[in-house]
Amino acid sequence: MNYMPGTASLIEDIDKKHLVLLRDGRTLIGYLRSIDQFANLVLHQTVERIHVGKKYGDIPRGIFVVRGENVVLLGEIDLEKESDTPLQQVSIEEILEEQRVEQQTKQEAEKLKVQALKERGLSIPRADTLDEY
Amino acid sequence: MAGCGQALTDSQAVLKDYFLENESLLVEETAVEAVDPFDKMDCNTDSNLMEEGPGKPVGLQIPEKASRTQEEEGTEEEEEEEENDLGDPAVLSAIHTAQRGLKSSSKLKASNMLGMSPVSLHFLCQTMDYFSPISFRSTLPSASSPARHFGLQLSSPDPSLFYTLPTSRPLRLSLPSHRTQLHPQHQRILQKQQQEQRCGPKHQSSRVGKLWSQKPDPYAGLMNQREKDWVIKVQMVQLQSENPQLDDYYYQEYYQRLERKQADEELLGRRNRLESPKLVTPYIQKAEDYESVVRIEGSLGQVAVSTCFSPRRAIDAVPHGSQEQDTAIYNQKLQVLYRIEKMFLQLLKLEENQKGKLAKSYFYELQSKQLEKIYQALKTGDEDNSEEAANGLLQVLSVRKGKVLVARLLLLLPRDQAVHLVLSITSHLPFLIRRDTADQALHMLFKPMGKCINLLAFGELLQGLQGLMVLQPGSQERPITVVLQNQFGISLLYSLLSHGEQLVSLNCSLKQHSSNDLATWTDMVVLIAWEISHMATASLAEPLIVPSNLLSLFCRYVDKQIVQQLEARMDYTPMATS
Repeated sequence: MNYMPGTASLIEDIDKKHLVLLRDGRTLIGYLRSIDQFANLVLHQTVERIHVGKKYGDIPRGIFVVRGENVVLLGEIDLEKESDTPLQQVSIEEILEEQRVEQQTKQEAEKLKVQALKERGLSIPRADTLDEY
Repeated sequence: MAGCGQALTDSQAVLKDYFLENESLLVEETAVEAVDPFDKMDCNTDSNLMEEGPGKPVGLQIPEKASRTQEEEGTEEEEEEEENDLGDPAVLSAIHTAQRGLKSSSKLKASNMLGMSPVSLHFLCQTMDYFSPISFRSTLPSASSPARHFGLQLSSPDPSLFYTLPTSRPLRLSLPSHRTQLHPQHQRILQKQQQEQRCGPKHQSSRVGKLWSQKPDPYAGLMNQREKDWVIKVQMVQLQSENPQLDDYYYQEYYQRLERKQADEELLGRRNRLESPKLVTPYIQKAEDYESVVRIEGSLGQVAVSTCFSPRRAIDAVPHGSQEQDTAIYNQKLQVLYRIEKMFLQLLKLEENQKGKLAKSYFYELQSKQLEKIYQALKTGDEDNSEEAANGLLQVLSVRKGKVLVARLLLLLPRDQAVHLVLSITSHLPFLIRRDTADQALHMLFKPMGKCINLLAFGELLQGLQGLMVLQPGSQERPITVVLQNQFGISLLYSLLSHGEQLVSLNCSLKQHSSNDLATWTDMVVLIAWEISHMATASLAEPLIVPSNLLSLFCRYVDKQIVQQLEARMDYTPMATS
């Protein structure tokens, strides 16, 4: 804020740990090292965190350069409060497995729903066939 | 050293190929020098961490330094091994030694030569390695140590470095699955760490924060001040505008309100006024505009020009004369709308000027001239016939936008002109009411008219009231019946009566008003009271405001029966009194 009062800028967030949510649903956690006028981000020591239910798993990814338009939101992580979370950290394999299971159940539920609708002569347009906005 | 140096040069060349255009030999030398610490340390590093067998330190030029680094390595290694899950001991040691000023100068020199901060150099090496570990291997067949030390600069920097203690491992990583492309060294280190940590104690994470604050972030400052300023500069350029009040209206409003609030607070006695910083957006003068392309009003885009290469008919886009002679209703309506638009633009400009500029006498004159212009346009004052003039006004008032225009204009006009407008409105009230059934927009005129009514002189007031009571030619009923059935009408009537009552009661000495006037006034009141009482309660409209002094007014002039009926009717209006 001391650079540009009354505006939002990422300058003050540099070198701080951030959580970045991307448009494809991924959650990245890393140190914000560099930005530019498009809010493209350079994340250092990035970890991709996958959440399933109350569990989460971290996949270390290294350095990320994220194009600004793909960011939904980002926020600073308070390093002191970071560890008091009710969530339980698990290994990567476990979380990926959980994710797979979750996806599967979702797909099955979706399939049932679509089937039911089809029987009634209705249809819901799929998200991937819609425009993004 | 020669072999090592050669290897280093090669790796440097690879580095250059990837990122740099700098081709001075000096760079190489200094870079070689700078990279030396890595070499030394690496050659002494634990064999576990290396792919090939531990080689002898190739070319130990500077024995003292080597021994020193060896010592440091020894002590650091242990803690680092435990600390770094994804390990980067070489880099860390390098950093520490650099910090201790071993080869700091040369390192800096190297990085400056390369055009980046020392941290970036680390980064570069890391990323380089991540992307092409194989290529390194292939180009460095001879010396194993350089490969080793570059190999050691592992890509995936340690995410838990900054949020774990040396002996804590909240991050329990099993061997990475095939989904994660990890460097083989990396995998090995992970495995090793895992094994170690399985027996290691776990620490509370509450100490993490403290540790973080103690440990300086070696990767901080990747973005130096110049770059930050550059980003800010770009963002500021985007904020440039010729008219910040227009382009950045909300921020300007917000800041003005903030300032006003602070000024008020300061006035109230809070001496320590906090200066809230203001974003000073660069204000630029309007650049000279020039039409680069020929444009004809009304044409779509560029005009087709006939040349010898493209003989094309030019677009005939000239508007066909003026349509004032045309008496079609459609055109008339368009005319009215057009007039309203013109007046509105003038009004908006006037309002903006008023808001912006201080009340200087020069501006005031200018404003009054502009105001006069608008007023004349409204009245279509060029016509002598007052009927025609009134007609113009009524046409404007028949349109919703016209009503808005008049409402806003009334607030700005000088007293006489405002009164004139109000009187014309009241005298043509039934007509306006009939025309308003679609829009239902007359109520927006109420407030400004109410303000004007309070400025009316007694004579003018009577004039207005009389207009309501005049029997229209060709109809049996008086306008007042229509007026009473309309919300706006009845509210207006009540306001007029209330004001009249005020005038009469304030000026107790009857000499103020001529006896004629008073007589007319009494007649009016009686008539109106009669009309109200004889109107079915259901058809009486609910006024926007019921002035409190009306009933007393009626009491004075009318007999009890009628008063009772009036009471009944006026009590039906649940709206708050003025």
